[in-house]
Amino acid sequence: MLAVKATGCARTELQKDPTVTTQDASHSQANSLTKMQTGLNVSSPEPMTTTRTVNRQTQGSPSDHLTFGHNVSVPGPDLTTQEFKQETKEHVSNATFVEYEILLPGVSGTSTEKNITLDRATRIELSCRLDNKYSHLKSLQVTWKWGNETLRHINKTENSWGIQLRIWDNSQLGSYSCTLKGEEEMHAVFHLQVPKIEGKEKPIVSYEGDTAVMICKSYGYTPTAWTWYMTNGSEQVAINDSLLADKYVINRVSANVTHLKILKLTKEDDGIYWCEAGFELGKSKGKLKLKVLSLMVPLKPFLAIVAEVIVLVTVVFLYEIYSKKKEKCAADEKEFDQIEQLKSEESNGLENSSTRHRKI
Amino acid sequence: MPPLANAGQAPGPPDGGWGWAVVCGAFVSIGFAYAFPKGLAIFFKEIQDFFGTSYSEVAWVSSIMLATTYGAGPISSILVNRYGSRPVVIFGGLLCGIGMVSAAFCTSILQLYICVGFITGFGLALNLQPSVIIIGKYFLKRRPIANGLAMAGSPVMLCTLAPLNQFLFDNFGWRGSFLILGAILLHCCVAGALFRPIGAPTPPVKPQVTGKGKDALKEEVTEDAMEMGSPTKVPMEDKVEEEGGKACCEKINQYLDFSLFKHRGFLIYLIGNVLMFLGFFAPIVFLAPYAKHIGIDEYSAAFLLSILAIVDMIARPTTGIIANSKWVRPQIQYFFSFSIAFNGTCHLLCPLASGYTGLVIYAIFFGLAFGMVCAMLFETLMDLVGAARFTSAVGLVTIAECCTILLGPPIGGTLIDTFGDYKYMFIKCGAVMVLAGTFLFIMNYYNYRMLAKEEKERKAKEENPKPVRTENEGRNSWNKETTRDGPELEPLSKEQEGLKEEVNGINEV
Repeated sequence: MLAVKATGCARTELQKDPTVTTQDASHSQANSLTKMQTGLNVSSPEPMTTTRTVNRQTQGSPSDHLTFGHNVSVPGPDLTTQEFKQETKEHVSNATFVEYEILLPGVSGTSTEKNITLDRATRIELSCRLDNKYSHLKSLQVTWKWGNETLRHINKTENSWGIQLRIWDNSQLGSYSCTLKGEEEMHAVFHLQVPKIEGKEKPIVSYEGDTAVMICKSYGYTPTAWTWYMTNGSEQVAINDSLLADKYVINRVSANVTHLKILKLTKEDDGIYWCEAGFELGKSKGKLKLKVLSLMVPLKPFLAIVAEVIVLVTVVFLYEIYSKKKEKCAADEKEFDQIEQLKSEESNGLENSSTRHRKI
Repeated sequence: MPPLANAGQAPGPPDGGWGWAVVCGAFVSIGFAYAFPKGLAIFFKEIQDFFGTSYSEVAWVSSIMLATTYGAGPISSILVNRYGSRPVVIFGGLLCGIGMVSAAFCTSILQLYICVGFITGFGLALNLQPSVIIIGKYFLKRRPIANGLAMAGSPVMLCTLAPLNQFLFDNFGWRGSFLILGAILLHCCVAGALFRPIGAPTPPVKPQVTGKGKDALKEEVTEDAMEMGSPTKVPMEDKVEEEGGKACCEKINQYLDFSLFKHRGFLIYLIGNVLMFLGFFAPIVFLAPYAKHIGIDEYSAAFLLSILAIVDMIARPTTGIIANSKWVRPQIQYFFSFSIAFNGTCHLLCPLASGYTGLVIYAIFFGLAFGMVCAMLFETLMDLVGAARFTSAVGLVTIAECCTILLGPPIGGTLIDTFGDYKYMFIKCGAVMVLAGTFLFIMNYYNYRMLAKEEKERKAKEENPKPVRTENEGRNSWNKETTRDGPELEPLSKEQEGLKEEVNGINEV
């Protein structure tokens, strides 16, 4: 298994690393490295160095070896060079530092991917690691690429290779991949992206003349700014709440949550809205749908159900009156029969007594 | 035997016929009363966002509704005593409809409290009590089955309302949904229309303790003793004057029978149930959050509640049938105590359930226990106090239960917040219910013994007035199939005893 470990610490010593086994650094690679190096001199606005441990399972690797953040001042056990140690101490600047590692399955032709979310300038180390049991695979050529550019990497241990990057701009985001070529070919890709904002899949239903409140939340990352857009035809128009204060109210309820309140709704307000969160490294949009209905829409089922209830109640009462009438008729008939019976009994009795008299 | 005497006799419950239509109506009515507050939870998130309030402020809507439904019990009882079940249920249905329709036009959360909480809650209270009462009037021999079927309305309605509410919400938003739900609640009026009045109506002025039974008795006595002329009127008049003296208390008692607080069986039931409700609803409220807490995803957690509801649906009528069998019916109080204790044991064992399978098993047993308890909730009360005083009894019981029902989930919530662990809440609920079950078991054993003693004494007294015996025996044979119904007819037979003796006394003279 190849483990890809990512640590975020840019080094100027990259070129001097003796254990590099990649293909010769091309000119473009050197250039890209220098770019990164110059990036080092720019101090990041972040406060104290923090390490983040990321426990994420990579795709396609049955036994994932999850990774561990390292403190900048204490380089991880896999980092073997003293120079690296020194470097890290020197450049303890204020960027967030993260490591990501992918364990590659030892199967040829596979590609493993990992999504990494970054919202601010970060020093990041990405590494690919091959499990010890595959160390018998010889003559492996490791290539790290960003888009079409090949990058110089470091050989951290016998079985792991990594690159260290400093991300401070949207243009540096993208897909970084490591490829192992030998008897078998293995591939791992890291996708560096800004945090995604989720809108609402289901439309928000509201009524004409009513107010609608649309909410966008960012989970885990705090955006620097929120902007709302409405779609006019095919264009996205930013909503200016200071200009149309009696129609739109934008409220940043908390750092990660924004509310858009639309007052006095009309049919024209129906459509798609976008909430955009601005991060240091870029922007991200969430989609929301607003549906504006007229009051007639729910009124129809309402009246239908009320009519049904009235019909049912009438039916029940009519049935009751009908069955009571039936009972009454039956009762009357019964009474009539009983009276007849009594009369006949009386007449019988009289006859009997008269016969008795006669007998006596 | 002259037919007139029979017409004056208190008619026995039909135990069938139109009674089954009444059960259908009660099914709908009870279903709405119990399931509606729970079903509203789907709208809360949207309402919370719309009014910009916190979740707890919105949850108050449901609490106020539940509190009003239980707290307005005595008012409901008074109205039923006065006007009968049917007008009260129809009025309740209209009130629910008006409440929800006006809620659709609310502009603040306070207005929602009033419209949804108070008005609709009150309407539901006017639905719940009369439905339960009228079952007691229509059924005697098959009453547990009728109760079980009617109470099954709650889980069925919940299962129907939950997806229906979601559908309405997706298509019409919360305002439109409230409007349509108002119309749907009007079906309670249809249920009310089915509640045909039965038995002689209670005359409004004369204070009576036993209501229609006594009335029918007076008629009978006057008809039997018609030839007697004036002598019979004397004891009657004396009684009227006597009653006029305590008119005040009697009048209140006519509307709401506070003398029930002297009734042993009623007190046992009240204490046991008030205790039980402390731990009854909290587990349902916290089952889904607990499932999510131990790592189960939202849909599976919701599915647990569905399993509970389905098992509940089946358990209620089944319990009704079992409770009606000749082995259980005489000892129905024991069966009730057993089901409460069983419910408590389930909760106590819940923390041992690990993983999703464990929770599924718990949900099944919980659903079973919950259904058993609910099916017999009102049946046991009817069994203890009798159909005549049940009207007032149910009102008094619900207002007492109201407090503990409302306290249960918040206490559970506080336990969870304090200890950060759900198991203490389950242990508390389980312990409370096992305690309640044991209490009821012991006290009912005592009660049954006392009742048997009183029955013996009564039969010993009956040795004396012989001409009356044949009629008494006739009535006794009618209720011999349900021997424990002695307490129900006790007040009836005692009154009749007193009057009969007076009449016979005059006879002998």
